[in-house]
Amino acid sequence: MRFRAKIVDLACLNHFSRVINTIAKLAKTCTLCLTDSKLYFILSDKVANGGVSMWCELCQGNFFDEFQMEGVAAEHNEIYLELVPENLSRALKTAQSAKAVKIKLTNKHCPCLRVAVELPSLSSSSRIVTHDIPVGVVPRRLWNDFREPSVPDFDVSIYLPVLKTMKSVVERMKNLSNSIVIEANLSGEMNLKIETDLVSVTTHFKDLGNPAWASEHGCQSSAQGRDLESMAEARIDIKKLQQLLAGQQVNPTKALCNILSKRIVHFILLHEDVSLQYFIPALA
Amino acid sequence: ILHCFLFLLVFGRAIHAIARISDEFWFDPVEKGLALRSVNSSRSAYAYVFFSSMFFQHYCWTAVSQPCQKEKQLSLPCKLIIKSVLPVFRSVNVLERNVEKCSIYTNINDHHITFQLLCKHGVVKTYNLTFQECDPLQAVFAKHMCPNILKVHSRLLADTMIHFPTSQEEVTLSVTPLKVCFKSYTEEDTDFSKTMLTEIQLNPEEFDYFQVGVDSEVTFCLKELRGLLAFSEATSVPVSIHFDVSGKPVAFSIEDTVLEASFILATLCGIEKETASQQPPCFSQRQESNAAAVASKKPQWNGNAPNTEPAKPASPLAKQEVKNIPRVREREVPGTEGAALTEAEDYAMLEGEAAESHSQKVRRLPVVLTVENLGWFSYFYKYCIFQFHSLFFGAVSCTEKDAISHTFHSLATASDTEEDFGSSQV
Repeated sequence: MRFRAKIVDLACLNHFSRVINTIAKLAKTCTLCLTDSKLYFILSDKVANGGVSMWCELCQGNFFDEFQMEGVAAEHNEIYLELVPENLSRALKTAQSAKAVKIKLTNKHCPCLRVAVELPSLSSSSRIVTHDIPVGVVPRRLWNDFREPSVPDFDVSIYLPVLKTMKSVVERMKNLSNSIVIEANLSGEMNLKIETDLVSVTTHFKDLGNPAWASEHGCQSSAQGRDLESMAEARIDIKKLQQLLAGQQVNPTKALCNILSKRIVHFILLHEDVSLQYFIPALA
Repeated sequence: ILHCFLFLLVFGRAIHAIARISDEFWFDPVEKGLALRSVNSSRSAYAYVFFSSMFFQHYCWTAVSQPCQKEKQLSLPCKLIIKSVLPVFRSVNVLERNVEKCSIYTNINDHHITFQLLCKHGVVKTYNLTFQECDPLQAVFAKHMCPNILKVHSRLLADTMIHFPTSQEEVTLSVTPLKVCFKSYTEEDTDFSKTMLTEIQLNPEEFDYFQVGVDSEVTFCLKELRGLLAFSEATSVPVSIHFDVSGKPVAFSIEDTVLEASFILATLCGIEKETASQQPPCFSQRQESNAAAVASKKPQWNGNAPNTEPAKPASPLAKQEVKNIPRVREREVPGTEGAALTEAEDYAMLEGEAAESHSQKVRRLPVVLTVENLGWFSYFYKYCIFQFHSLFFGAVSCTEKDAISHTFHSLATASDTEEDFGSSQV
């Protein structure tokens, strides 16, 4: 099992750092899957995570100048590593002005991702900062836990409002309640509601637009037969939603969510080179 | 009686830097300027900042007459609780904008020091702080005897330390004549699968002055150093690092025409581990827990020793042991202590500290002893994980007349000077 990669372009490095920072805000530990062409940051829906799951996909060619990997075996050319994304985030944090960043899988005392940052210095040779991030190698028999989650047959699919606005609304609501209800319909209307003994607050968004893919997706009958005004709703943990929104460092090109009434809310945030899917289950 | 105005930013940063060492500090105005000193509870870090009278816009110091007047009179230094002073200089950056002048008055009779900030718009903030009189504190460290000396701009050091997480306790500096590196401290039982390790390699060319007489790896507490780094950035004076092999203290100092500062930190010296203990790698914790283990054998010094509250015990083990650090009287009689110290004192004199070679001065000023010079301590220290060489602080009352026969009123306990001489089991 071997892996080595190099980033030389500063813009790519910053972009990669931002992605890692976002992941770090969403998950304490997660699984990194490396293949020939892509990197995946995966959080599977275990009870320990509160049932949330995450699937983040990057095209390695958009970030790395050099990327070589060799999986466990020829027909299973993948590497699955368990790591703490915060460590990776920290290692990259001080690499803002780096000449190059190299990442390599090593096994000195234990399996590690060695991040070597080459920084400019006053002298002829560069300053080199090395971070050894411990990782756990996930054995092949467990790889099935980390398959891309299937998109459920949702009731409503709608584009999200401007994330910044949504974030500030949710942040204020977080102080009042532990759970929040997201409801939306196929007419581009979405409401965020909280209700406590003392107060109930609802924020209404309209003209959001609904993505057209419902028809492609095979749940035609339910989508077509569905009343445009009728709301699909789910009550979810407000902290999880706030984490997702707060972690976004760059505005996505597309942001939408799919709601399966009373079951699950599926968020999809698309950037040019990165796609992030986040599933928050409904509370009982 | 001291009365001065001063550059807030630099002074404030100095206070903050000292605050990282301890909760209280010695405020010692002398004719030439103002000295601030501090030592941490485990005696493994000592800070000294001296502002010459030229640093201040106005500096006026008058001696208070005292009954015994053999030598040049020192006004009695006093001890302040730093927590009370910190608020005065809290947000130094903001202060600079709003405060036009700061004056410091002391009134010995009243046991008060007054910090007065004259701010914009006629606002005057006055802080009256009580101080305790105490014996003087001074560490003497033979910098010029160190084989390894590095001098570098504080910016470089700060840029290096920034790569370590703020929670990183200890850092190892490793040098050979060809390269320098700072790395996270690891020991044999570090759980590598859980800790992220960082290493920074620097080129000797980046240093203003680079002298490596002996290859060495010294491990010191990063937290205590960070204060000095911030302070030296404010002054933009380069930082000198004097050190020797592991176990001997490392001194970080800055010096310019109007001020000088030294932070002297003890370094770890790894020897064979005791298998039973599970001590976490933190200075103050380890020292306290070791101290507890050897409590019954600790030599006890007289004097108003500050209480040894541990700095930051993170492990439950350290916590429970900390409570039990008794101040146990040493078996040996004071006379022996005094005599032993005298040997050490002589040694200190022999070390060639030019400034202290004058016997009269030595008598009055306390002496710093490195443990290795005091073989007789080894008797007491068989339980420990690592061997510490740390600085000792002995205080001398200025009424002492005879260098040889008096007992030292020391502010330090010898508990932090464990040495594991495996063979000398008692």
